[in-house]
Amino acid sequence: MTQQDDQSSAKVLAELVAPEKSALRRAAVLAGLAALVWPLQAALVAGALAGLLTDAAPLWTYAAGFALLGVLRAVLNHWAEGIAFTAGLRVSSQCRAAIVAREATRSDGPAAGTIAALAAEKLDALLPYVSRYAPAKARVMVVPALILALAFWQSWAVGVIFLITGPLIPVFMALIGWAAQTASQRQMAEIGSLNDLLVERLQALLDIRLLGAGEAVANSFAEAADRLRAQTMAVLRVAFLSSAVLELFAAIGVAMVAVYVGFSLLGLLGFGSYATPLTPAAGVFLLLLAPEFYQPLRDLSAAWHDRAAALAVASEWDEWQRRADPSLLGQGAAAVRLIGPADIVATGLKVQLGQHVLTLPDFSIAAGETLALLGPSGAGKTTLLGLLAGMLQPEAGHIQVAGQPLNDQTADAWRAGLGWMPQQPHFLNASLRHNLSFGRPGDLAAVLRAVSMQDVVAGLPQGLTTRLGEGGGGLSGGEARRLTLARALHARPDVLLADEPTADLDAVTAETVTAGLLTLAASGCSLIIATHDEALAARMDRVIRLEALV
Amino acid sequence: MSALWQVFQLIWRDQRTTLLRGAVLGVVVLLAGVALLGLSGWFITAAAAAGMAGVGVSFDVFRPSASVRFLALGRTAARYGERVLTHDATLRAFTALRVRLLQSYTRAPYERLSRLRGPQMLNRLTADIDALDGLPLRLILPLIAGIATQLLTFAVLWALVGIGVAATLALGFICGGAVVLIWAGRVGFAPSRRAELAAQAFRSRFIDLVQARGDLAVYGQLTAQKTAVLAADSRRQTARLAQNRVERRAGLALSCLGTGLATAALALGMALAQRGQLSPALAAMGFFAALALLETVSPLRRAVAELGRMTLAARRVVQGLSAPALQTGQNHRATTLRFEAVSHHRPGAARPSLRPLSFTLHPGETLALAGPSGAGKSTALLLSAGLLQPTSGAIWLGDYKLPDWNEAALRGQLTLIPQRAALMAGSIRQALSLAAPEADDPSQWAALQAVALDQVIRTKGGLDAQLGPRGAGLSGGEARRLSIARALLRRPAILLLDEPTEGLDTATAHAVLLGIRRYLPDAAILTASHRPVELDWADIVLMLP
Repeated sequence: MTQQDDQSSAKVLAELVAPEKSALRRAAVLAGLAALVWPLQAALVAGALAGLLTDAAPLWTYAAGFALLGVLRAVLNHWAEGIAFTAGLRVSSQCRAAIVAREATRSDGPAAGTIAALAAEKLDALLPYVSRYAPAKARVMVVPALILALAFWQSWAVGVIFLITGPLIPVFMALIGWAAQTASQRQMAEIGSLNDLLVERLQALLDIRLLGAGEAVANSFAEAADRLRAQTMAVLRVAFLSSAVLELFAAIGVAMVAVYVGFSLLGLLGFGSYATPLTPAAGVFLLLLAPEFYQPLRDLSAAWHDRAAALAVASEWDEWQRRADPSLLGQGAAAVRLIGPADIVATGLKVQLGQHVLTLPDFSIAAGETLALLGPSGAGKTTLLGLLAGMLQPEAGHIQVAGQPLNDQTADAWRAGLGWMPQQPHFLNASLRHNLSFGRPGDLAAVLRAVSMQDVVAGLPQGLTTRLGEGGGGLSGGEARRLTLARALHARPDVLLADEPTADLDAVTAETVTAGLLTLAASGCSLIIATHDEALAARMDRVIRLEALV
Repeated sequence: MSALWQVFQLIWRDQRTTLLRGAVLGVVVLLAGVALLGLSGWFITAAAAAGMAGVGVSFDVFRPSASVRFLALGRTAARYGERVLTHDATLRAFTALRVRLLQSYTRAPYERLSRLRGPQMLNRLTADIDALDGLPLRLILPLIAGIATQLLTFAVLWALVGIGVAATLALGFICGGAVVLIWAGRVGFAPSRRAELAAQAFRSRFIDLVQARGDLAVYGQLTAQKTAVLAADSRRQTARLAQNRVERRAGLALSCLGTGLATAALALGMALAQRGQLSPALAAMGFFAALALLETVSPLRRAVAELGRMTLAARRVVQGLSAPALQTGQNHRATTLRFEAVSHHRPGAARPSLRPLSFTLHPGETLALAGPSGAGKSTALLLSAGLLQPTSGAIWLGDYKLPDWNEAALRGQLTLIPQRAALMAGSIRQALSLAAPEADDPSQWAALQAVALDQVIRTKGGLDAQLGPRGAGLSGGEARRLSIARALLRRPAILLLDEPTEGLDTATAHAVLLGIRRYLPDAAILTASHRPVELDWADIVLMLP
């Protein structure tokens, strides 16, 4: 990781946190105030213990004061933590909302596992940073300086000890921070790739079992999971080591103060304080302050570690934000259909397909016409359907729908009149009923009869409330395909785009589907069908043949 | 709770030695902390007393100050060791747990396997197990260390300072801590569970949004799905706020408890010292020990506020691990497949999914099962592959019935290509190696050639050409052929094909079918078919009613 990347991640992180600045300032003030209570408590305890040595009456008020101040400190901390936590939640939530919004308008993008890992898990790494770093920084600004002043007031020797050992901590903190960030970044990358690996393996579990690859897949997963464990341990080890080193420095500092104070009180050392010898009260006071001098620095170093994780997330976030994936047209929202007959005119379409640029033929379809797109695999049939649905944008050329150009403004309204049968059905994690109707009114039983699926659906464990696997698992390919046709029919479209509607179907069912499509066409719906099936193509009004790419 | 305990036992069994060492070091850390503060307080006060009495020169400074240094360094080292040991052990145990969970999912019955949803499963394997790391690290080990430290401190303080201070601190911390922590566990249970459920809903809805973007856009549902995703997140944030409030309140209560008990120790010490029953130095020791003892309860608050989430996760992990064992019969070899009046009827279904069917399939023969949709073609294949159990009748593979085969031997003899074989992201080479890790490049090309895919793969960049998620980058027909090539590489004695040439044009379909037979001249091939090109290719066609 270079210095420059580091700075740009820091800038991104600062921008993410910026909206919560005022809340964090309030949290910082409260945390700073809480830290200031301790020297007062220390003074009271020192007074009470010194009182015991002089055989004076017990200082009950000192003890009571100590308790009251302790409660005050706890309340201030409680309050500060609450404000900071809420601010942290808002920062990560806003990032998440931005990811969801952008991903909802892409036509293609990063793998689902990677992006879900960023949105669902990694953004949470911002939370500890936002909620801990600012209060810790505030304490570092206030507390060590104050304690240093108090120490010099009581004993210059103790002040000198603090002055020498204190600055060592930030130096180590910075050194360790760099190591921590590199380790965090590796860990984040590993989380993403493990999720991608898993999401796919899990969707292919049946194949894995059938190919006898269960052991091999489990082994490769074990390796990947072990790599992630090693990366995580690397991050943790740096964190543990840094806190151990800092604890060590603090311990040495406290021990030096203790030795000095002890020897002074015994009268063995005659230097370092203004009133010789050091009073017992001053001695106990200094000893109680010593750990608190180092504590804010140690807290900051722990938060520095959170910062390393947050920087790693920020740089991944930044990378995600810079992705220039094509967007689909429009929002994908429910809309009122375009007015006028659903004619389509396509001219001069060129589209990027892998490394090739594909030139598609010009064509036009009047409302109610039926058209077959024939061509070998990979000739661009599916791509053309995507263009007509506004799900892809062409490199060049125009598509006119219902007399208007297909663009961001018209796409939602155009799609409101479309039916869609994809080649690979995807079922949402919801009931079959919702997957077919999306909550819109209509006669589901009728459309299921139209595709001869009423018996199959009735035979599912919970009928229409069954949740299917995302690829239609639990049904045969043909059955899943017919459900996508039922879904299209339920939408009562003006134009139906279908990708291989008769693939996976036996001759009888294929005929049922074809008949269903033709009935739909007879009711005035245009059909545009990508197919290999010459018999189906022959029953369309027109056929466009797409050339193979090679 | 019992699920939590079961998960802990799994972790414990896997990493007993390391965890035990970690637990011991955990006690050392806490004890050293208490001893360090107690001793320092005693030392300074005693030194002051000696100085005032003018006997400073005879006061033994070296042993106490050496002990303080030793304790400070020892605590630092012990803490580092404890953290590394317990975290490493937990992560290792979790890796093993994840692998076991994945393996147990592979063994799930077909009905469940086919309906599995990737994102939910991913939640089980990652989020659920991650949620459990607090169980050993923040709950059980700190609890053990905390109780041990309290008891040992009680004994030492009793001996040095007296029963009054010792009992006040031990009872105060144990009873007061228990009250606060049990309260936090109860009140925090529901929100922490809700937060976890919402997090998983967010994840699966979001993956749905990404994977079904096209469908959702066409049906105008993309914005609605987006709203649902964001609703899950906002539910999660609300629940997390509630959970955090419980955790912070518990923190506040414990801080006040700590302050109160330290004050009590101070006051008791002062009273005893005044009556001359206790030296001021020992009174100081009680107070300082009380300050350090807060560390025995305070870290537990986070874990108890997470109990709801952990219990939910533990229940699901335990459930996931309870898949049936795979077939554990013998190793055999066989080349014939025989159905003896095999039928299948799903419980609760109106009609049988396969009516009684008998046939014998010999090596080198191709038998096609034909018939209308729902006649049981696919069911017959699933039965042959041992994924479903016949309701009546028996399936013989060579001289043995299917249940007498062990899983590995069965998969070695017989390969089923289901109707929708799944491909994964990665290179063509990786896709093929999944089936046959030992196959070299020439054999991979030979398999690709058999399914007329070699030309296509060559133009895409050869065996190193990368496929996207779910095999993206290949058309439906190409993906179909790649999945056939993958199965051919296993050179099964019995090949089961479910509609092998769907999505292929007739010429390619013909070439693929001939290629399959040429590649496996002696295999017994059973297909579920309806296309004329497949039926013509078969030696025997069996019409299912």
